[in-house]
Amino acid sequence: MLLLSRLAENLFWIGRYVERAENTARLLNVNYFASLEMGTRAREIWMPLLELTGGDAELRARYGRVDARSVSAWLAFDRENPSSIASSVARARENARGLRDRIPSEMWESVNRAYLNLCFEGSAVLERDGLFEYCNAARDASQMFFGIAFATLPRDEGWSFMRAGQTLERGDNTLRVLQSRFRGIDATAMPDPAGRTLQTQRWVSVLKGSSAYEAYRKRMQSDVEPLSVAQFLLLDEYFPRSVRYSAENLQDALMQIERFHPGKHPEILRLSRWLVARLQYAAINDIIDHDNPALEELLGDFNRVGAAITAAYFQPE
Amino acid sequence: MNYDPGQQFFDEMVTHEGDLRPHYEGVQRYLGQLGVPEFSRRTELLDLAFRNQGITFTVYGDTQGTERTFPFDPVPRIIPASEWAHLEAGLSQRVRALNAFLDDIYHEAQILGDGVMPAELVYTSAHFRREVHGLKVPQGIYTHIVGTDLIRDEKGEYLVLEDNLRSPSGVSYLLSNRDAMRRIYPGMFEGQGVRSVQHYATTLLGLLQSLSPREDGTVVVLTPGMYNSAYFEHAYLAQQMGVELVEGRDLFVDGGRVWMRTTGGRRQVDVIYRRVDDDFLDPLTFRRDSTLGVAGLVEVYRQGRVAIANAIGTGVADDKAVYAYVPDMIRYYLNETPLLNNVPTYLGWNPEHLPYILENAAELVIKAVGEAGGYGMLIGPAATQAEVSEFLVKVRANPRDFIAQPVVGLSRHPTFYPDTEEFEPAHIDLRPYILVGSQEVTIIPGGLTRVALRRGSLVVNSSQGGGSKDTWVLEHDGPGQPSGMSQIMHGDVGDQRQAELEGADLQDPPAQGQHQTQAQTTRGQSQYQGGFGAVPLGGPRESERQAAQVQAYEQSQELDPLTGTRRQSQRQGGQSQSQSQTGGGEQRQSQRAPAAAPVPAAPVPAPQGQHSFQQQLEKAELSAEPPEPTALELERQVQEEVSPPLIEPHDQARADRARTGQGEPSGQAEPSDAAKRQESPTPSPATPGSPATPDKEKF
Repeated sequence: MLLLSRLAENLFWIGRYVERAENTARLLNVNYFASLEMGTRAREIWMPLLELTGGDAELRARYGRVDARSVSAWLAFDRENPSSIASSVARARENARGLRDRIPSEMWESVNRAYLNLCFEGSAVLERDGLFEYCNAARDASQMFFGIAFATLPRDEGWSFMRAGQTLERGDNTLRVLQSRFRGIDATAMPDPAGRTLQTQRWVSVLKGSSAYEAYRKRMQSDVEPLSVAQFLLLDEYFPRSVRYSAENLQDALMQIERFHPGKHPEILRLSRWLVARLQYAAINDIIDHDNPALEELLGDFNRVGAAITAAYFQPE
Repeated sequence: MNYDPGQQFFDEMVTHEGDLRPHYEGVQRYLGQLGVPEFSRRTELLDLAFRNQGITFTVYGDTQGTERTFPFDPVPRIIPASEWAHLEAGLSQRVRALNAFLDDIYHEAQILGDGVMPAELVYTSAHFRREVHGLKVPQGIYTHIVGTDLIRDEKGEYLVLEDNLRSPSGVSYLLSNRDAMRRIYPGMFEGQGVRSVQHYATTLLGLLQSLSPREDGTVVVLTPGMYNSAYFEHAYLAQQMGVELVEGRDLFVDGGRVWMRTTGGRRQVDVIYRRVDDDFLDPLTFRRDSTLGVAGLVEVYRQGRVAIANAIGTGVADDKAVYAYVPDMIRYYLNETPLLNNVPTYLGWNPEHLPYILENAAELVIKAVGEAGGYGMLIGPAATQAEVSEFLVKVRANPRDFIAQPVVGLSRHPTFYPDTEEFEPAHIDLRPYILVGSQEVTIIPGGLTRVALRRGSLVVNSSQGGGSKDTWVLEHDGPGQPSGMSQIMHGDVGDQRQAELEGADLQDPPAQGQHQTQAQTTRGQSQYQGGFGAVPLGGPRESERQAAQVQAYEQSQELDPLTGTRRQSQRQGGQSQSQSQTGGGEQRQSQRAPAAAPVPAAPVPAPQGQHSFQQQLEKAELSAEPPEPTALELERQVQEEVSPPLIEPHDQARADRARTGQGEPSGQAEPSDAAKRQESPTPSPATPGSPATPDKEKF
């Protein structure tokens, strides 16, 4: 079965952009509603989010202030922001357009509908208190897209490239969320009860942002405190949005691709196996307390795998 | 249904006497039963379906993105069997003669030697390609896929307005229109005897495969890219045929063969259905700055190791001055009488015609020969005296480049207007699609009917309010056979009725002459009436504007899906401007930024916190080793600083990438740690809020 390099690249990136739209929508949704109860300390909610998505300076330049409204508009609709929901959906759709002859029409239609519904909105959505619906629509669009792919896309190489993009993006995103949280004040123990409550609230938001809160409760049977949240989101074997699970799926997709080109690109699998091994065998204390490996290193590992895929499959002979 | 056909023009549904033409009986009855509110509701569904499926053409400066759906009117245009048989015979005859002509002029040029037509006209045509002279094409066929524009005059006679022999588009709209109609109005089809159009993709694939130099050759569709306004069609055809849709950068020539790049390495390509114009096909043979084509392709073609459809150089036969000689070609090559007439044409080149053109300009339509559709034309009756004089200056300067035709009043067809919820007459034309194989000519029954939706407008271009209709060819000439009425067919009915029903009973189109149809009675009448200012293409004001702009247009290679109009390039803004500067009015084609440089990037692990983007990775590769910038790209660089580019985001990123690769300040600040995710060169979206260029997209 033949796959043009350009289309392989489109499939990989469509996986990343659709997943990214969903992740941003989840994060925004959770943080927006958390911020409503934070009063004047809204900034503390938003800064980590901006750290992980980037664009603090551009946001200030465009909106002049950092508050629930400006951050929401920036992250949701602003096409100036390359990682906004609207931008991600638009890019996913551009990639899908390049794949129109390749992917099932239903997949194309679902991403095209998402584009028509989500990419021409503006702050009017906030005026009518529609952010919740907007974010849900973005999340649904992503799930619909991957659901249709699951049900209709032939399981050839192309499927594996899309899956690789999706899982790489997911692992990358969860790592970023943890990174931004551990960098800030949330990681340090709070002396007073009020501070502790606030801190717990924020870690609940972290879990909810990954749709992990309920799963965490069932699995960990413990309070929401930083180390166990990190353990769950990083190392859990069964939760489909954990970093480990994403890395294992990435590895799986790459092995599927390898089958079509046996032995041609050993470096990719070496990198991804190394990443998976670290996540399978590292203890949470080593990672969080001793930076062994550091979150940054794991993030770097994901990106190295991405770069190796690009070099091996997407570039001209 | 209430409908007033008027008296000025030929009406497709109602005769001058006010009688319903029999082949419309079924649809009229259906519409009557359905009722306007329900009809209206379903029309909206239809529009939504087109929108969600992204069956669009590309438009610039539109606040709702750069793509628009093509307006569609659900009242079908119906062609009875005998009328179609006549068209089919006429069109087949025409394409046979045109192919014979192309083969002749690229070899011995006997037609010129015999003085049937002037050599000068052929060799001065902008689309004559001396590079392929003497080249042997597979099966001797040059133009495999043809779209011929037909109009009907005031008497109802079908006339050929122009031949599109290069890359006629629009067939995907025809097929999508039929799919949508069947889904939304299934009842309308019941018992009507509508001939199917579903075999197009299969026939096309078979035709392309038959050209392959190897057994079981690999066929691909070559597109200029997703920003081409006919991209939907390219993708659609590739998907329907199950072949790869490739861009120039996916292909390369090595060892005297054409290959495509795949994740598993190279794969040989045998047949290219190209939707890229000659000029951009091979930078080694034609335009050196083209990045849409494949370097070395023409040499492989010359060696017979790859087939290209349509062949290179077919455009010479749809030059408007050459068009005037098609009836002579039919007589010369086939020794037959032309079945379909041309619109009478005066050649500026001909010293006997020129004075007539100059004196009667106010009554004529004058067209530039290399252009199509609304470009470079003057509609005399609709122009002011000043405009006429101004245009004639150009004609006098370059008489070879112009032709003149009398104004023809296009036939009209009932069309639903949602605002008044009424059926009103609107002008239409027809583009049938013809596939020319070595054994047979296949014409998909019907074609694309374009309709001038703007009230009173005679312009079918969709940029000027044009839309399309489903086009039905019936298996018979009479009214359809309503379900449950089949017994009538064997009983006694009136004479006229019986004849029609017998027609309905035939599986095949009835023999001609069994009963006279409008077309047959009027065939042979070729009186051309001036008068009503009805012209097929380009409304007065639009065409005037276009005439002014035409020099500056960078044009896409491909005929516009709907008019045969040369479409303007995808790339507006900086790039196209720079191209016009270099090229001053030559035909231009949109250019892609080059593919990423072939540098095996040392995998650059993203620094912490950095979020990678598709374009970012590519950018990193490029900075490692910049590609050789083409002249065009260099110009674009300069240009982009002056004028904001109006390019779609994904693509501009590519432009940025090229720019960054060339070491120009990319405008990206030193990445500060948190802002890493912003680092990727992401352009402002081209669409909302951009300083819009005028909507020049022409259909």
